[in-house]
Amino acid sequence: MDLLKRWVARQFTTRVIVMMPIAIAINIVLGYTVQSVLKLPIYVDSIGTILVGVLAGPLAGALTGILSNLIWQYAPGIGSGSSIGPFAVTAGVIGFLAGIWGYLGVFRSRPASGLGLIVPAGIAVAVIGVLAARMYTIPNYSDPNNGYPGWVYGAIVVIGIVAAVAVAGFIFVRRDAAGAWVAVAGAVTGIVAAVISAPIVAYVYEGVTGSGTDLIVAVFRRGGADVYNASLGQGLFSDPIDKTITSFVVFLILGRISVRVLARFPLGERLVGRVADGESQPPDAG
Amino acid sequence: MTNTTAMAEASQAESSVLPDFVRRIPVRPYLALHPVTKATLAMVGAIVAFGVRGWTGPAVVFVAVVVSGAVAGVLRRTLPFALATIPLVASILVVNTFLYPNAKDAIVTVGPLTPTWTGATAALQATLRVVAFGLSAAVFALTTPIDDLLVELERRGLGRRGAFVVGSALGSVPRTVERAREVTDAQRARGMDTEGGLPRRFRGLVPLVGPVVFGALAEVEERTMALEARGFTAPGRRTLLRKLPDSRPQRLARWALLVGSICLVAVSLAGAVKLP
Amino acid sequence: MTAGLVVEGASYRYAGAAERSLRNVSLELAPGRVIGVAGANESGKSTLCLLAAGLAPAVIGGRLEGSVRIDGVETTAIPPHGLAQQCGLLFQNAATQLSNTAATVFEEVAFGPCNLGLPVPEVIERVWWALRAVGVEEIAPRDPARLSGGQGQLVALASVLALRPRYLILDEPTSELDPAGTRLVAETLARIARETGAGILLVEHKMDVLARIADEVVVLAEGSVTLSGPAAAVLADPRLAELGVEPPAGVRLERAVREAGLEWSTALAEAIE
Repeated sequence: MDLLKRWVARQFTTRVIVMMPIAIAINIVLGYTVQSVLKLPIYVDSIGTILVGVLAGPLAGALTGILSNLIWQYAPGIGSGSSIGPFAVTAGVIGFLAGIWGYLGVFRSRPASGLGLIVPAGIAVAVIGVLAARMYTIPNYSDPNNGYPGWVYGAIVVIGIVAAVAVAGFIFVRRDAAGAWVAVAGAVTGIVAAVISAPIVAYVYEGVTGSGTDLIVAVFRRGGADVYNASLGQGLFSDPIDKTITSFVVFLILGRISVRVLARFPLGERLVGRVADGESQPPDAG
Repeated sequence: MTNTTAMAEASQAESSVLPDFVRRIPVRPYLALHPVTKATLAMVGAIVAFGVRGWTGPAVVFVAVVVSGAVAGVLRRTLPFALATIPLVASILVVNTFLYPNAKDAIVTVGPLTPTWTGATAALQATLRVVAFGLSAAVFALTTPIDDLLVELERRGLGRRGAFVVGSALGSVPRTVERAREVTDAQRARGMDTEGGLPRRFRGLVPLVGPVVFGALAEVEERTMALEARGFTAPGRRTLLRKLPDSRPQRLARWALLVGSICLVAVSLAGAVKLP
Repeated sequence: MTAGLVVEGASYRYAGAAERSLRNVSLELAPGRVIGVAGANESGKSTLCLLAAGLAPAVIGGRLEGSVRIDGVETTAIPPHGLAQQCGLLFQNAATQLSNTAATVFEEVAFGPCNLGLPVPEVIERVWWALRAVGVEEIAPRDPARLSGGQGQLVALASVLALRPRYLILDEPTSELDPAGTRLVAETLARIARETGAGILLVEHKMDVLARIADEVVVLAEGSVTLSGPAAAVLADPRLAELGVEPPAGVRLERAVREAGLEWSTALAEAIE
């Protein structure tokens, strides 16, 4: 019990308490801009959540996600459109996962060259390939009554290739093997998010949420899928892409924050490696 | 300092009384309810609107929300919130009416499009649910200053850090919106498209993320130090200046509503009682 | 117990930094006195503030050699909330110091005392006292997020004062204020030192402020103390300019007058005050 209390306390230092509202605001503002102003078919409302999770830990990340959704729902001024509150569960899970990635040091820069780059790139491409193949053959997309519009399968292939090229390119251009880890973490987060969201979207909203992704749902339903499967199908399309993009954005942001600032966060040292000797670290309460 | 004696006397008088602009106790009907009561009503509204299958649940919530909004005098101000649900409602209506799976009772057949009665019914029900929930959230947001709710939650054990995170987040959102607006305006002046095709809009996203995120993160260090310098990490319970009036009937009603709504949803999901 | 905020032979390096930001700095702030700190940008003035207030190394990490003592006790031995009650710290940017959680200026100023768990009547009394000491009691009902830069800074000052610290450390508090506001803050600080006996460490770019209210002045360059002594002497020192500090108006006027070969009298100096 005591160990648990200390694990909790270590994640909620003053710095984290200050960071969370800022992360929540980032989530809400970017999510609103991307979904309502730019009307892109992605969400981009988890940058703050994943950032806090990676820097502070699973509980802090989860709480950031949950509060972002609740505050967005009830905050006057941004015009929530009432389609975000119930997804607090998903956001919480995303934040929790981000904390786990933080503990595992997934987002730590791993400069490498030659074989040290080729192997991770290969692994990442392979993972993307497997995911795409799974999605290609997923039973939710087919239905005995109606065939599937062929272009959906083509879209999976194209997106898979683009993603593989982008990730591999990232690894080689930045000479950083971490790209593979970030891609895998993002994809896993996306899949989990989709699986958790599908019942929410299906049950609460009859399959649509008023965002750009509804077109995808419509396509699946035209293919004959019922509401739950259509939502899952749409989720497995949009979420891995969105969460992978978000994860890379977080990775880039972390790269731009100075080491001395990163070190002050609870999980900071897992992002920078060893801390120099002889320095005092901020105490847990600070 | 001038007039020291007069000020000393005035200070004696006001010394232990909280000024009215701090106490801020509402007296209008509905607004005078305890904030936790209003929050419970919003939660119950959400639970019933989405949890109870059929028309009855959402309809009851809708009526209740409209009535309470009228009593509180905020009904007109809920209009923007209602209008904000239009994109969602439009999607629901279109997708469900035209694409409800396995629905054979077509209303009319126009070329490839076959709207169905089943689909339309499901669509309207979902619409009612969404609108009822949206209005419930709106009435809550309009009648309950977040300060009130946070103070009472903290009194009941929320803790100063929880209250700070929520309160500060709500304060940060408008500031960050301003910053984002400045960035998009500057980008638009430089030719970024918010209306163009997909690739152009994607390209517009990239320069937006950086300034918004880094501008917000830059404050973290100084804010952390400022909080420590104001004794935020002192042990023990924080002093709460304000106190909102509560009453026994309200306390009982809160529990009754909460438990009742959960039971109602459970019963409805189990199919034991079929409401229209 | 010896009263005073004493920095003795202090050197400080930020966490992860290669160089030390402060080298062997010593100064002694007695209660009721005002010490001004001047220097070019990046000379270590802000670091000195964090050090004196005990936030470095406690809150931000880093490595301290030497000693920083408040009334005889090492700052490293005092928890942050204890430091807050002994040593108030004010930064340049008023907006980041507001808690963002108060609906009125009154509640903003009450944030500190409430954090300490003081009883409500005492909180109220301290808030009114602090508001009056700074001269902003009329804006007590206003929304802190809607204040002008100058007002925000004054409210931040009141918020810090409400904790009744024995020492006040201010990092360029007048940087965003107009001349009238600057004069107001300067006079307020001088009065606070006189009436409450608080010791004030004031980092400033505006030498006129230091000329007006400082008893001693310390000049930093590249992390070390290059000049220190009574205010009048240091501010008239010819080496100020090459250290990146512009002398106060009175000093510049006197030099210009003398260089023009004219007579200078102290009556002239007083006239421009």
